[in-house]
Amino acid sequence: MKISDCIDAGTEYCPCSLAETGECIMCSQLQGKVFCDCTNWKGVCIYQEYIWNHSQSKENRQVYRCRILAKEAVSPAVTVFTIQVKRTLARELKEPGAYVFLRIPDYPTFFDLPMSIMSADERAGVIKIAVQERGVKTKYLLQREAGRREEQQREEVLLRGPYWNGILGLKYLKSFQKGKALVVVRGIGQAPALPVAKKLLQGGNEVEVLLDRGRIAVDFTGDLFRKMGCRVLEKQLLKREDLTLTEETLAYLQDSLLNKGVGLIYGGGSDLLHQGLSRLIQEVERGAFFVCSNNAQLCCGEGICGSCQTRLADGSRVKRCKTQLAALNIYEGR
Amino acid sequence: MARVVIIGGGWAGCAAAITARKAGAEVVVLEKTDLLLGLGNVGGIMRNNGRFTAAEEIIALGAGELLAITDQVTRHKNINFPGHKHAFLYDVTKVEPLVRKKLAEMQVMVELETRAINVQKEGSWLKSIVLANGSAVEGDVFIETTGSTGPMGNCLRYGNGCSMCILRCPSYGPRVSISQRAGVEDLLGQRGDESYGAYSGSCKLAKNSLSKEIVEKLDREGVVIVPVPTEDVNVKKLAYKVCQQYALKEFAENIILLDTGYAKLMTSYYPLAKLREIPGFEFARYDDPYSGGKGNSIRYLSMAPRNNALKVEGLSNLLCAGEKAGLFVGHTEAIATGSLAGHNSVRLYLGMPLLELPRALALGDLIAFANEKIKTPEGLKNRYTFSGGQYFKQMIAQGLYTTDVETVKLRVERIGLTNIFAEKFL
Repeated sequence: MKISDCIDAGTEYCPCSLAETGECIMCSQLQGKVFCDCTNWKGVCIYQEYIWNHSQSKENRQVYRCRILAKEAVSPAVTVFTIQVKRTLARELKEPGAYVFLRIPDYPTFFDLPMSIMSADERAGVIKIAVQERGVKTKYLLQREAGRREEQQREEVLLRGPYWNGILGLKYLKSFQKGKALVVVRGIGQAPALPVAKKLLQGGNEVEVLLDRGRIAVDFTGDLFRKMGCRVLEKQLLKREDLTLTEETLAYLQDSLLNKGVGLIYGGGSDLLHQGLSRLIQEVERGAFFVCSNNAQLCCGEGICGSCQTRLADGSRVKRCKTQLAALNIYEGR
Repeated sequence: MARVVIIGGGWAGCAAAITARKAGAEVVVLEKTDLLLGLGNVGGIMRNNGRFTAAEEIIALGAGELLAITDQVTRHKNINFPGHKHAFLYDVTKVEPLVRKKLAEMQVMVELETRAINVQKEGSWLKSIVLANGSAVEGDVFIETTGSTGPMGNCLRYGNGCSMCILRCPSYGPRVSISQRAGVEDLLGQRGDESYGAYSGSCKLAKNSLSKEIVEKLDREGVVIVPVPTEDVNVKKLAYKVCQQYALKEFAENIILLDTGYAKLMTSYYPLAKLREIPGFEFARYDDPYSGGKGNSIRYLSMAPRNNALKVEGLSNLLCAGEKAGLFVGHTEAIATGSLAGHNSVRLYLGMPLLELPRALALGDLIAFANEKIKTPEGLKNRYTFSGGQYFKQMIAQGLYTTDVETVKLRVERIGLTNIFAEKFL
């Protein structure tokens, strides 16, 4: 059965604007119905929180002006930002799946760029984010737009957060313990997989990382994974021509699931990579959990703009910026 | 082997478990909290008025196990208080472990802290109950006894908010209406003013918090009646109450305490500061609901349409009992309907005709009467119990009310139903 949770339910940002408009993801009373039908209890009554907050949403997430401590170009395509933030915010961003919106000051809000957290140090109040130059917003964030000169580089960035729904299947990730897990990453997807591996290691799991440099053509995380205690294998995961899983990868994954007892696979790459992985997991039928990065087109992060809305196989529509789903639900029937 | 899954471990669910087991089924009870009996852990009133007749009918029909337990832990027998005669008060702090032991002896599987949130079905047949942890419990026949109390959102929308009652929704998660999840819309009880739901009718004070005189009198006589200061009499509150048998003028003008292990205060809620102004109540505090100074749980927002054999309309293998089966009030009513639903679950599995209790018995009459009434707008504003209100009047008028045990036995025997609930089919 599909169980969809709201990532923000029960947090200080709940209830949100969706409650005010009868669009709450969790609460029947806040979906225009007038009776409880609470199948996804998260330990708090959202309706109660709403009424006690004078029938208003809680305060929205804030925008912080943060100092960029360092910008390290790890390849022509990828730059790792080190950003100073409040320690509280760094702590809130330590979880796998955490992300923020970034933009250079003075630009309007539609330059907001959703970026996953690569690492967060709550004691120093520092976060790291890897940015791959792709389109308009990344080019502006990297300040590579036409006419920008080196001496005009801004040392500050506007940061909105924290957000947490960067990974689908979080509950499997958080509850998986003393097993074997595979972290399969490609390209820029390496960066947000670091907190994933950390979480898996904390759960006493053996973690193997299959790393494909992909389009960015650089391995900038391999040493970090190794330092944590993961085994890292560099592999070409997808065929160049049609971006399906290579025969070698397929065989390796099958062997891992069937013979090596791998119980969880994390996919950190494109939808095509995730599709290949989810199909394989379903075919092998060993009940392995599938967790992957949330590749939706996030724009506001608040369930308001609709850009991340996805239609599932059962015909329902979900706002993927806030809805926590099993990853298989997203890729089934596609 | 028939596998019967019962959702909800209150009095109705426990009674259903017993008769389904006796009829030969394998029985699983799913209960969301860590206690069986639900509101039975804070109730305690048995055998008052027509409930005496009903209790004896249940025993004569062959399902006396739970009544034997409540009788065993009764603190006071045959007490009278306004509008009520020959009440028995069981000790609510003693009863639950005994029921749990009884079910274990009968090899009923009880799954505590197990919250049902959905169903899987094929056509009109339920296949399994989905639990909050995502797993599923399969069965042949299902009995819903989830009651109609709460959860928090309903208590807030239709009451004064969560008052922290024994159901402890914040800790164990809210009740989910299984029949509604299966596609059968719930019926909703109303108050006099047509708003939905009704307040639970009593609160429990810690006995130790009351004066020595009150406690001694409670221990001795089972009842203490203290007049409410005239300026605090709130007759209007009676209209909000579930328990219309206790919605009498005397209950507004007096504080009526019953000894159920707690000092059961026969009003929905009472502001603590006002209560403490009354001599003997200076130190009073609530044990259930914890916020009894402010409000109480809201009930009757989730009844399933059903026939008189307690099968839910529109579904092939779902039965219901207790408050889920109508605007019933009380343990006896829950045990009566639960016993019938449990028995019928095995009949349903075998394709036998389901048992409808004849109206020559108070049990059959109440079940049929409540079903007639729930279909009328006025009927939705009433509650149905052997112990008072509209139905007790009807019970007397029909000549069904008696306190003579032999008469009840004879009635049940005459219609050929003696020990029917003890019959083993499998």
